[in-house]
This record gives sequence, structure tokens and C-alpha cells, in this order.
Amino acid sequence: MDLRVPSGWFFTLVGLILVGMGIFAPDTRAALTTVNVNLYSGLSMLVFGIFLLLLAWRAARSNP
Amino acid sequence: MYFAFVLGIGWRLRKRISSSGDFLMSGRSVPVWITSLAFIAANLGAVELIGMAASGAKYGIMTAHFYWLGAIPAMLFMGIFMMPFYYGSKARSVPEYLKLRFDEKTRAFNAFSFAVMTIFSSGISMYALGLLLHLVLGWSFDVSVLASAAIVLAYTFLGGLTSAIYNEVLQFLLIVLGFAPLAILSVAKAGGWAGIQARLPANMTHAWQYMGSPTENPMGVEIFGMVAGLGFVLSFGYWCTNFLVVQRAMAAESMSAARRTPLIGTLPKMFLPFIVILPGIAALVLSKMNLGYAFPLKATGGPDYDQALTTLMAQFYPAGMLGLGMTGLMASFMSGMAGNVTAFNTVFTYDIYQSYIRPGAPDHHYLTVGRVTTVVGVLLSILAAYVATRYNNIMDLLQLVFGCVNAPLFATFLLGMFWKRATAHGAFTGLTLGTAAAVLTLCSTTAEGKGGWIANVYEFPSQMAQNFWIAIVAFTTCFVISIAVSLATTPRPDKEMEGLVYGLTKVPHDATAKWYQRPAPLTVLVVLLLVILNFWFR
Repeated sequence: MDLRVPSGWFFTLVGLILVGMGIFAPDTRAALTTVNVNLYSGLSMLVFGIFLLLLAWRAARSNP
Repeated sequence: MYFAFVLGIGWRLRKRISSSGDFLMSGRSVPVWITSLAFIAANLGAVELIGMAASGAKYGIMTAHFYWLGAIPAMLFMGIFMMPFYYGSKARSVPEYLKLRFDEKTRAFNAFSFAVMTIFSSGISMYALGLLLHLVLGWSFDVSVLASAAIVLAYTFLGGLTSAIYNEVLQFLLIVLGFAPLAILSVAKAGGWAGIQARLPANMTHAWQYMGSPTENPMGVEIFGMVAGLGFVLSFGYWCTNFLVVQRAMAAESMSAARRTPLIGTLPKMFLPFIVILPGIAALVLSKMNLGYAFPLKATGGPDYDQALTTLMAQFYPAGMLGLGMTGLMASFMSGMAGNVTAFNTVFTYDIYQSYIRPGAPDHHYLTVGRVTTVVGVLLSILAAYVATRYNNIMDLLQLVFGCVNAPLFATFLLGMFWKRATAHGAFTGLTLGTAAAVLTLCSTTAEGKGGWIANVYEFPSQMAQNFWIAIVAFTTCFVISIAVSLATTPRPDKEMEGLVYGLTKVPHDATAKWYQRPAPLTVLVVLLLVILNFWFR
């Protein structure tokens, strides 16, 4: 089994949830920072998750 | 928070169903990038996250030595020089290698002491997790320990080593992505590295400059104790002979992949301090900045550095990200425990049960034993978790255990792999006396008001210094006695040691492989990066 597939999906999903929270509940902030932490962390996880899925997809295509 | 946790569990369920194959060895078929990440992730458990942030707040950037000095050189040595013997000998575990190279009694000694150590490590993970769940979710310590034990039991019982390895990799990615934002936010809030330097004493922000004498640096260690104790004995003992990490490389799909496993692992390892130590240092700065952030106090008074990471998370992460951070933390505790339990499993089943209790049974019998051992291992870990509650700094306790078990072991392997004259009696005598020397040193010296159970011959400036010196004493004793006894006993014929000793083994040269697939260019790259990092934070 290719570990990149489940971990790619995991980060894509978590990323989507966090981005969603960042956009629809932008006022949930922590005490010591004014940054929209959910939005930016979510975006980076989303990108990483899709990147993993792309790698897995390419690998699956080259040696089926 | 709850949602993220459920997601984590759901992911774990999927993992568990998909993993099959060899319960104890993964059938030597795991791809190299997975073994590399698992190699360092097996060590990124409770100790690293909570302990390293705590040490960062307590000792400053010197803590990074646990990585740059205390891991990378040993990992490189392991990949270049030692892996050919481990992988090539077809041994299934580190104690089994000792049996092939030396004899049955050396293996028995190592198997038993290793089994004790994994149980301790696993117990410490459980203790840390119990403490965390108690603080964050308000669960009672007993309930937390039992609940976490049940989860770990569930997935190691079903999936074995492959499941543990795959979990480790996912947990590692989760830790990196989940904690990198915390490092960035907290350091930015503390005014960047320049702000940290301006607000802390200079000996907290320099890794090398204040190591001349133990009184000048916060760790209370001088340069010799640091380099010889941590950088040589403890780190080589851990990374080169501890079956917990070696097992990950041995699961690789080929000899070349097994050798590259620790080498590739050094690259992420080198940059982990920025994620696990920097937040601790930043927390110390923030507590001095009148922002309303302070370390929680311990019952005995004084700041509780072990809570640096969790309190920092509560200050910087909003609902959502906070849940993910907590999930990552819990996942890492559990995979730390799982790693120890799987290693304990393999060693108990192959090296204790199959060798002494019931040899020659059909394979499915040993599979059953492996599963039963998982249950026993977890139960023993719970016991160890309650022992751990009696010590305040988790890191120090673990170093204490390593000092007594791992330090002399590296001397035995060094002689066994590179000196064909070393004999079985020599190795065994050296190993037992080396361990005895470690215990004796621990019991006859004190540090920070602890130890000295037999006598008080010498007082160390800090527990760190004591740990490092115990390791040095144990290693030297083992090394010298092994050589002396080996020379006095009859050597083994060369023919019996092919594939086990340097000089009698063909080390493969992959001259045709691409540069990034060969060990030597990889090593040069790693050393170069390492020098730059150390120079930067000198």
C-alpha cells in the first residue's frame, strides 16, 4: 500500500476543515496573536496534502 | 478539537485494516522514505516534544546538541559503517546479531536489558500522555493512562510492526505541520531570533561559546563531558545499537535502502530543533515580557517547564488548530509507546521465548506469542508509568536508563564489528561489568540533591553532567575489559564470522547508482549542513 494516499487525504481533509474555520469563523483567535492561524495553517496543510496525492498519482501511473 | 481527534482515530482505523504481512519484521519490504522518517519518528515521542521544549526553556539553545551532536554523527556512522553488518548478517534483531557474532549469553543479557528499557521508555510515554490528558481534558491520571494504553494495545495488537511504522510516519508529518506554525508564531512574538538574543543571557543563545566550564552554562556540563558523553557514548549507543531505531532500518527493502535510511533521516532530524526547541526558548522570553504569559508553577515551587509546550499552544492556537496540535501530541505519545512495544515484542518473541522458553515450534505459535507479548508489554508499561511519576524531569530519567543499558553496549558492538579478535567471553564480561559500573556510578554520586544511594563520592554540577559521565565510565569499563578478556581467551575462527565483522565482509559499493542514492555524497552534504548550523548558533 502507498502511504502517500491515506496521508495525502488526511492532510487535504484537515486542511479543508481548518481553511473553512479560518474563512467562516475568522474571529476565533488565540490570546497572544492577531494572525488568522487556522486559515494559514489550513492552507499549508491543504497544499501539502494535495502534493502527496499528486506524487502518489504519478507513481501509480508510471508503474501500475 | 473533538472533531480533529475523531479524524485522527478514523485515520488510524483505516491504517489498521490495510496493514498486514509480517507482524514482527514487516517482511523487509518498506520503502526507503518511510523507513527514514520512521527511523527518526520512533524517537520523536513524548521525550522529544515535551522534554525538548522543557529543556529549551531550561537550558536554551544548548539543547540542540541533543540533535546536532547527539544524533547526526551517530546516524551517519550507523548508515555507513554498521548497517552492512546488521542487514547483511540476516539477523532479525540486535540481540540476534550479538548471538551470531558472539554467543548465547551476550544475547541473553542484551535481550533482557533491552526489554526492560523499552518497557521503561513506553511507561514514560504513557506517563507524559496521562499528565497531558489530565491537564488539558481534566481526566484523572489513572483513567488517562489506562485509556491511552488501550488504544496503543488495539493498533499494535492488530497491525504489528508495519502498522507501527506507518503510524509513526503519519504522526511525524502531523507533528511537523502542526508545530511549525507554533514555532513561527512564538518566535515572531518574542521579537525574532534577535529579540530572543536581546532578552536572554548570552549563555542561553549560544550552543558552544560557554562550554569551557560547567559553571558558565545553564546545563552545567563542560565540553569534554558533552562531546564524549553525549556526542560519542550516549548518541552512538542509542542510534547504533538500540533495536527500537535499528529495527526501522532493518525493515527496509534492500541493503542499499537500509544504509540510506539513517542517512536520509539526518536531513529532517537536523532541522527538528527549530520546531521542538525554539518554542521552549521563546516561551521563556515571553514569560519575561509582561504579556500575561507565565510558566505554571510546580507543587514544590519553581516553574514547571514540562508545561511550556502545551501552555504556549493554548496561547497561540485558536480552537481548530489547537485541536490539531493536541491530536498531534497524543499521536506522538502513542506512536512512541507503540514503537517500544513492537521492539519489545520482536526481542521477547525471537530472543527470549524462541531461544529459551520454547524453541522449534511452528511459526503461527510465535505469532500468537507475539500478540500475547503485546498485551504483557502494555501492562508492564503501565507499571513503569507509575514509577515515572516519582521523577520530575522526564528527559533526565530517560538519560539515566540509557546510561545504564546503552552506553556499554556500543563498546561491545564497536569491538564486535571492527575487531575480529574480540571474543564471546570478552564481550560478555565487558558488557556486564560496564553496566555494573554505570549502576555503581549512579548510586555513588549525587547531582541536584538526587542519587548517592550507596555513598556520596562526588557531586556533579547537574544531572545532565552526571548522566554524561555515567555513560563515559560505563563505555570505558566495557571497552577496556572486553579487550583484556578477549586477548586472554581463544579467538573464533575467521570462517565462522563472515558477514559479521569488518574485513571479513564484502561491503557493497553502489558506484553505478545516482549520487543521491550513494552513501558518501549524502554524508558530505549532511556534514556540510551540520557545520553551517553549528557555526550559526555557536
